[in-house]
Amino acid sequence: MTQPAAPTRRTLLALAAAAAAASPASGAAGSGVGGTRVATVDWAVLETLLALGITPVAATELLQFREVAVEPAVPASVADLGLRGTVNFEMLQLVRPELIFISNFYASSAERLGLIAPVESFTIYAQGVAPFSAAEAMTLAIGRRLGAEAAAQRFVAETKAEFAGLRGRIAALGGRPVIPINLGDARHFRVFGADSMFGEVLARLGVANAWTQATSYSAMAPVGLEALARIPEAWIVVIPPVPEDATRILGRSAFWNALPNVVAGRVLTLEPVNPFGALPAARRFARLLVAAIERYAGAARG
Amino acid sequence: MLRWLLPVAIALLLGAAVILGRAALPGDPAVTAALERILLWHSLMPRFATALICGAALGLSGVLFQQVLRNPIADASTLGIASGAQLALTVATVHAPALIALSRELTALAGGLATVAIVLALSWRQKLDPVTVVLSGMVISLIAAALSATVILAKGEYVLSLFIWGAGSLNQQSWDAPLMLAPRLLLGAIAAALLLRPLTLLTLDDDNARSLGLALPAMRLLVLLVAVWLAASVTAEVGIIGFVGLAAPVIARAAGARRLRDLLIAAPFAGAILLSVTDSAVQLLGSATADLAPTGAATALLGGPLLLWMARQLRHTIPPRTIGGRHTIARLGHPWVAVLAGGVLLALFCAIALILGPGPDGWSIATGPLLADLMPFRAPRIVVAATAGAMLAAAGTLMQRLTGNPLAGPEVLGVSAGAGLGLALMLLFAPVVGPVQMLLGAASGSLAVALIMLGVAARPGYGPTRLLLAGIAMGALCMAVVSTMLAQGDMRSYALLLWLSGSTNRAGPIEAWTGLAACLFLVLPLFLFSRWLDVLPLGATVSRAVGLPQTTSRLAPAGFAALLTGTASLMIGPLSLIGLVGPHLARLSGFAHGRHQLAAAIVFGAALMVLADWLSRAVVFPYQVPVGLFAALIGGPYLIWLLSRGAERNG
Repeated sequence: MTQPAAPTRRTLLALAAAAAAASPASGAAGSGVGGTRVATVDWAVLETLLALGITPVAATELLQFREVAVEPAVPASVADLGLRGTVNFEMLQLVRPELIFISNFYASSAERLGLIAPVESFTIYAQGVAPFSAAEAMTLAIGRRLGAEAAAQRFVAETKAEFAGLRGRIAALGGRPVIPINLGDARHFRVFGADSMFGEVLARLGVANAWTQATSYSAMAPVGLEALARIPEAWIVVIPPVPEDATRILGRSAFWNALPNVVAGRVLTLEPVNPFGALPAARRFARLLVAAIERYAGAARG
Repeated sequence: MLRWLLPVAIALLLGAAVILGRAALPGDPAVTAALERILLWHSLMPRFATALICGAALGLSGVLFQQVLRNPIADASTLGIASGAQLALTVATVHAPALIALSRELTALAGGLATVAIVLALSWRQKLDPVTVVLSGMVISLIAAALSATVILAKGEYVLSLFIWGAGSLNQQSWDAPLMLAPRLLLGAIAAALLLRPLTLLTLDDDNARSLGLALPAMRLLVLLVAVWLAASVTAEVGIIGFVGLAAPVIARAAGARRLRDLLIAAPFAGAILLSVTDSAVQLLGSATADLAPTGAATALLGGPLLLWMARQLRHTIPPRTIGGRHTIARLGHPWVAVLAGGVLLALFCAIALILGPGPDGWSIATGPLLADLMPFRAPRIVVAATAGAMLAAAGTLMQRLTGNPLAGPEVLGVSAGAGLGLALMLLFAPVVGPVQMLLGAASGSLAVALIMLGVAARPGYGPTRLLLAGIAMGALCMAVVSTMLAQGDMRSYALLLWLSGSTNRAGPIEAWTGLAACLFLVLPLFLFSRWLDVLPLGATVSRAVGLPQTTSRLAPAGFAALLTGTASLMIGPLSLIGLVGPHLARLSGFAHGRHQLAAAIVFGAALMVLADWLSRAVVFPYQVPVGLFAALIGGPYLIWLLSRGAERNG
């Protein structure tokens, strides 16, 4: 079972992420840049803040964030505000933030949150919005707002540089298209199209998204597994969490095992990534994807 | 048997159309030819077979349930078995994945058996009276659904599969499902054949059956076990396929199956055809990559109206029983004093909810500046909870009085689900969906359902059982649309999931004032109808004799009930059960007159909701549980306890 190995790997990842996050932060004044007590209810904002070396006083659903988004690591000092769907206003009030960042998902709560502290909203995921550039803009805006402009610019530049490097590495690996999916169960998946963050990352890596049909608003679910027969040449990239029995059932599925991608071993299961994240999630996805393809190529050569 | 020819032909034709009508796979013909073959033999054919087998298994389990419980509306959905199995699988997926890896079937079976045991234990003293059984089943089902929704909400991304699975999909990649289900269906059929004689005798009274030498409890238990096992196996393999177990025996009877022996053959047959036709339809109407809707949701879309229509024609195969009203309940001597005492209790709850609560540093009693800080968040949600509870309880009282059916309520008659349907349609078609559009959608949805149900109830000879049957069908029909949208997994499904779970968390002054205004304009005028409310339950003949305006006296309360339900469901979701519990508590506590019951129900409903809301934010602080869930968790068991206590005391 993978169970005993997982915490170790996760701990290592968290340490690595913390180290990565710490370097751009050294220029800024650490937690609470300019002394602003900032809180956020949105995960994309949370990971951006942490990546800029700013520790918020409170954020939502930290238990799940540590499982699904994994990096950057969330310091223990951050207060948990409960579910993203039902933000605990009382808790937020009691930690006394001076500024609250939200996203368009929380538009209906903006007024309530405004009773606690001034509210500023960002939009990354909306119909007709390209999430990657929106995430870049948000990173810079957060930097400007909290006096961490240099850190923000550095992070955006580092992101560009990392993508350039990864683009070069993956170009050497054959240029197959990729289909990024979440497995719902052994018979259905959720696919991330060109308008999703994963789709945009693929475009920036110079990799084609094998899913060319329209997706409604970033992701489409559920799609029957048969649809994979249409893209025999693609990498099937599975983003966890994978339901417990899906792997087992798929292993026994004649159809799955006859797919040319599966026959050739072109199924890559990555570490978890938040599909609705900001630049840190985009970088994480790109990094994990390229590393997985390289591992495959290395194994094929060796 | 000639009459079966056409449906069989239709099922086969549609199945062939699905297989032949598929768009060819693009790409290299050498690769696609092999994949096409695999798709045909390992996906489409097993799917067709799975539909037939699942339909038959559900049809068989439906007949068995109905026979053994002597209950024409028993089935895996009305007994809560499907929801119980779903809850077991949901909880296991999240908290004990090892169980799922071990066996989905056993996990689902455990959930199904636990549910049926609870349901039967609750109605045991009532000698498994059909309506009490189904009432308990639906209460348990609502609690299970609320718990499942909570787990989904709490785990976010993780349970994408539960959206799909919860709505039942027949997609297959191998022959695993048909190969696993076929022997179970066969065993079930053999068991049913062997038990044919005792099963036939079960239609008789217990005394008669016993005098014929039947080991009654053991026999019933055995049949029940087979039926639960069939339903749980199907649920574990393909998810909740509602309604087939309820509809198949009805169709079989309508097609002429009278004796049990015929029914045991005809109902699985009807179930197989029903599910197969539905499954082919969602594939033909969907796109190349995705079905139009999950098959489980679609069966309710087809089965719901069918059952509504059938319910009219269906003759009672089992003598209709009167429900409620059988036992007299001691009336209160001073009802208004009792209402006042309830009001004091409500005020006490509100005060506790306002000042007592957990914070980052543990529990505290908020006073002074702390209270001033928390007031803007606590006060509106208390007001919203109280007013929503009051509205639902008032709506429930109206419906119980209108239909003369003590089991009526916005949740049971599908009116709450109607609000969800209206909301779903609004989210689907309106360009902008704000609070006004949501209210409009929910209110018109519940109004439409309330009027339909009233029309159904007004039909001559439409007994309480049939009304309940129609209500369940209507509710399932509406929830099918909601499930379909939930399965899309986009922002609209998120909005619906939030509605489904019911949260007072975001309530602000606007919501609080809306709630108060709704109470003022929709609840207070109800006391003007109080004479109508006393006369209406006595039936049309009496109400005509005492000179009630026939149409107005029904339409006006129904309209009010619908508006109240729509408004309240937007605030706390459709699952609360308060609309059923509030009036029940009032009636069982001895408030007999219309106006007394109404007032008491309103106070009880409000107090329950305030308590539920307080608990929902306190138990797992800082995480919050949907308030609808807590209302169902408090109200459901209490309702059942009161029902059985009332029976014991009054015989």
